[in-house]
Amino acid sequence: MAGLSYRSALRIAGRELRFSRGKFFFVILSVAIGVAALTGVRGFSTSFRAALLDRARSIMAADLSARMFQQPTPEEQKGLDAIAAESVQITPVTEMLSMASSAKTLDPLLVSLKAVDPSLYPFYGEVELQPAGSLRQVLKNDTVVVADDLLVRLRLNVGDSLKIGNRIFRIAAVVVNEPDRLSGNFAAGPRVFISREGLDASGLLAPGSHAGQRYLFKVPKPKDGTPISEKAVESLKDRLEKLLPESQVIDYRETNPALTQGLDRATSLLSLMSLVALVLGAVGVAMAMRAHLEQRLDSIAIMKSLGAGSAEIIRIYLLQTLLLGLLGGLLGVGFGALVQMAFPYFLGKLFGVPTAVHLQWRTVMTGLGAGILTTLLFTLPPLLDIRSVRPILILRRAVEESADPFLAGLRKKLTNNLSQIAAVVLILTGLAVIATTLSDSATVGRVFSFGLVTVLAVLLAACALLLAALRQFLAKTRLRLPSAMRHGLANLYRPGNPSAALLAAVGLGVMQIMSVFLVQQSVVRELHLSSAPNLPNVFLVDITTKEVAGVEKLLKAQPSVTAEPELLPVVSSRIVAIDGVPATRASLKNFPRRMLRSISLTSFPQAPAGTTVVEGAWWNAQEQKPVVAIAQRVAERLGVHVGSKVTFAAQDTEIVATVVALTKADGQHTFSRAEFFLPRPVLNGLPVVWYGGVHSDPKRVGELQRALYQSFPTVTVINVAQALETVRSVVIQITYVIQFLAAFSVFAGVVILASAVAGTRYRRIREVVVLKTLGATRARIAAVFSIEFAVLGLVAGLVGVIFANIVARVLLGRMSIAFHFPWAWNGLALLATAAATVATGWAASFRVLGQKPLEVLREE
Amino acid sequence: MTEGSTMIEVEGLSKSIRNGARTVDILKGISFAVPRGQFVAIMGSSGSGKSTLLGLLAGLDSPSAGEVRLNGTAISYLPEDQLAKVRGKTVGFVFQSYQLVPTLTALENVLLPYELNTEDANNQEGQKRARELLNSVGLSDRLDHYPVQLSGGEQQRVALARAFILRPPIVLADEPTGNLDTTNGSHVLELLLHLNRSLGTTLVLVTHDPVLAGYADRRIVLRDGAVISDEIQQPASFMVAT
Repeated sequence: MAGLSYRSALRIAGRELRFSRGKFFFVILSVAIGVAALTGVRGFSTSFRAALLDRARSIMAADLSARMFQQPTPEEQKGLDAIAAESVQITPVTEMLSMASSAKTLDPLLVSLKAVDPSLYPFYGEVELQPAGSLRQVLKNDTVVVADDLLVRLRLNVGDSLKIGNRIFRIAAVVVNEPDRLSGNFAAGPRVFISREGLDASGLLAPGSHAGQRYLFKVPKPKDGTPISEKAVESLKDRLEKLLPESQVIDYRETNPALTQGLDRATSLLSLMSLVALVLGAVGVAMAMRAHLEQRLDSIAIMKSLGAGSAEIIRIYLLQTLLLGLLGGLLGVGFGALVQMAFPYFLGKLFGVPTAVHLQWRTVMTGLGAGILTTLLFTLPPLLDIRSVRPILILRRAVEESADPFLAGLRKKLTNNLSQIAAVVLILTGLAVIATTLSDSATVGRVFSFGLVTVLAVLLAACALLLAALRQFLAKTRLRLPSAMRHGLANLYRPGNPSAALLAAVGLGVMQIMSVFLVQQSVVRELHLSSAPNLPNVFLVDITTKEVAGVEKLLKAQPSVTAEPELLPVVSSRIVAIDGVPATRASLKNFPRRMLRSISLTSFPQAPAGTTVVEGAWWNAQEQKPVVAIAQRVAERLGVHVGSKVTFAAQDTEIVATVVALTKADGQHTFSRAEFFLPRPVLNGLPVVWYGGVHSDPKRVGELQRALYQSFPTVTVINVAQALETVRSVVIQITYVIQFLAAFSVFAGVVILASAVAGTRYRRIREVVVLKTLGATRARIAAVFSIEFAVLGLVAGLVGVIFANIVARVLLGRMSIAFHFPWAWNGLALLATAAATVATGWAASFRVLGQKPLEVLREE
Repeated sequence: MTEGSTMIEVEGLSKSIRNGARTVDILKGISFAVPRGQFVAIMGSSGSGKSTLLGLLAGLDSPSAGEVRLNGTAISYLPEDQLAKVRGKTVGFVFQSYQLVPTLTALENVLLPYELNTEDANNQEGQKRARELLNSVGLSDRLDHYPVQLSGGEQQRVALARAFILRPPIVLADEPTGNLDTTNGSHVLELLLHLNRSLGTTLVLVTHDPVLAGYADRRIVLRDGAVISDEIQQPASFMVAT
């Protein structure tokens, strides 16, 4: 026989599509929902994440900063120039202490100067001024911008003059919020912004002066609108660390660990949700295609008996399924785009979460690719199967039961189906590639990719096992069971009924939905902890031991202070040797050697709030010997570890302390700034200054500042309320968005699973008719189906919930979040699955139940 | 009810179906009555409306006009669930394509109408009857087989047993031998006639096979939805072809 041309095959396939539009519409819709879930969730989470990262960068005002204490060498400058030539923007920020005075008061005041180039600084975020204006317009060669407390202390107003060094500047505005306040120095004295030219003119920057210099870097944005990749930032960081070995290079992620952690967790969760959307979409496509092909078996048998070869049939149906996949995929991408547009709109309205949406080609192609690949994945093997099937078997819907023992049967199956297996492996590889590109978080990607295959196999096995056990039970009790129950259970074993596949699909779906839910819940709980409203947002610098009780009393009396003040004693010291090696020769990694001369020691009986021990152990309360706990980040740069000996010098005392613990701070407490903790007896007798932190109502910080100034004029107040509000609002937005997206994933998942269950309804029509002819009432038929669906739901739910808990546990473990087994939620999920399957089963069969039997019989 | 009383009464029965913009009249006002115990063959070429008529007799659909009374009960406009009850108690149905429930064994398939229509909780009686019936159709060794494990003839015999388990006063059969070869067909027919005679059932059989119709007491011929002949005849004596 002459081969069927692709053209004719397409015509036949297309005609079939046109003829039963209703059924095909359903298939297309299922594919579309899957693809839409994928594109929508994925696209939105990408945009949202980019927006968040932008805000996170504003905490540093840059992507990266390099802190150094001397001018770059000509060599280093050449390297920096080379980097600038690659359109990385660079601007220096100089911070130093200086004296400022006014004509009105004779006493000069210690101020902390910050010299910036207002045409570049800040790269991210805004310097908020009062009166409103931009730094670029206000900060000139002869002006300064100052903190409110300078005006209070010097009794000045905006417009007055201020003498710094040997120049007089006009005060142009008050700085209300400085985006990178948290990453700058917490030096004593009010903030004064000055332009670089102004600083040069002041003559303060003499060689050897105590100026700290930071270079800020901004990585260029990719032209295609995608966010700056973390890899770009990472690689620039590596380069800078090599280029400037004496400097401390940090990226924006390190400035606020709480924010970074929140972002990382959100990233993991968003990745998980994208992947879940992918798999749920695939399940939807799979079930739709399966039901679809089953419907086509009759046509296939007829064509075969008319002499059509397998190749021709495969060609027709491959084209048809591809067409369906493509139509569904396109529709899905359209839906997904709508979802993407709608999300930011709703979120913007509800929570004021800003997100810029740009539909990315990559996302669209991923969605479309996933849709078509899964369509193929689930249609190719059954289509290839057609080659060996005799038409009569299809017409009679007979299933040849294999008499072989299980293993031999399996081997035979494997060898007979090599081409199917090859196709499946190929397509799965394609999906794995998509999954990898989908996950921004390597952990989630890995756990997911490895996990999914294992889980799917185990899930199928578990379902098959449970079904077999149930079958045993059924065989033993068969005629003694009430008839509706027996019939309902027997339905699970309908010949050719893919109960195990449906079970695995529903189980997988339940697992995915439930793991998103469980992980989301724990992550949100953690985020709420880290965005607690009572964390310190006003810091006090330079409190003497004599003043400390008074300051504490005053703080507690302030109505704007809403949490217990945190007070931290600090002993100024320097490191003279590490493991016996003198500081001058110690090998440091990106730790400016000059900083060894200004080390702050503090003492605490146990790890303070927000600080955790990550290695070693804290000393016990009675410890008298010199031991030290060091912040892990600093320890790495100093090259010390648990057991190392660090020699500190304070005044004329030397302390040789053994490192017993490495710590990590959440960056949200006063204590988070402490890097060296020693037992109190060791520091006894050394001069102590206190640092303090309180939480104040952000709007009433000024009030607090004035009250403090009146009683304790020498105490510097650093207001980071604005910056912390930024952090807090970002973290809260993260929680909103992940809750919202999780709810969407759960909803989409339920819809897809429902359609999978509903897809089995065509199989039931004939059965309903026979039962009705034999005198069965609708209630009876509904009871039979309810039992079938309830058992299906319970078994799938059980398997799904168990695996969800395992997945959640592993993922949360990787994110270092504690996992608590949620009995109530698990029970609820189980019941909900059963209820949902029964309800969908009913909904899908409802029309069938009401139909007159003859209508169906006539169609045969 | 006395011997010879009317078991099936059809009055002015019409059925039209809409096919797009067109309305097709399948049955055009048919009337006849079947007394208890009679064996009626309904004949006609394909498309004459005979299967639709049978379906309406069984209450599988509602007519467009007219009425069907089974054993004195008007069934045509009953709600579905009541109709199901009437069907279960009054009518046994044999399909051309057997229509066994694939998930149930032969014994369970035969038992099904009993379970659906009686209050007998432990269905001892039903099981006894089902075994006897399967025995009488020669399937005593196939009780626990599923439909896919049975041949076409065997499946139809299970379907026959199923139609008779409630000893319904009426059995309707739609081309019961249509899917079977001659030997199996004759065997099924023989069983059908045997059960009909021994249980005193009223039997309505739809066929286009004149030989089959020759065994009936009465022959009604349909063409284009109307009765064109209705004759009482002397039934041929039955001989199994070998």
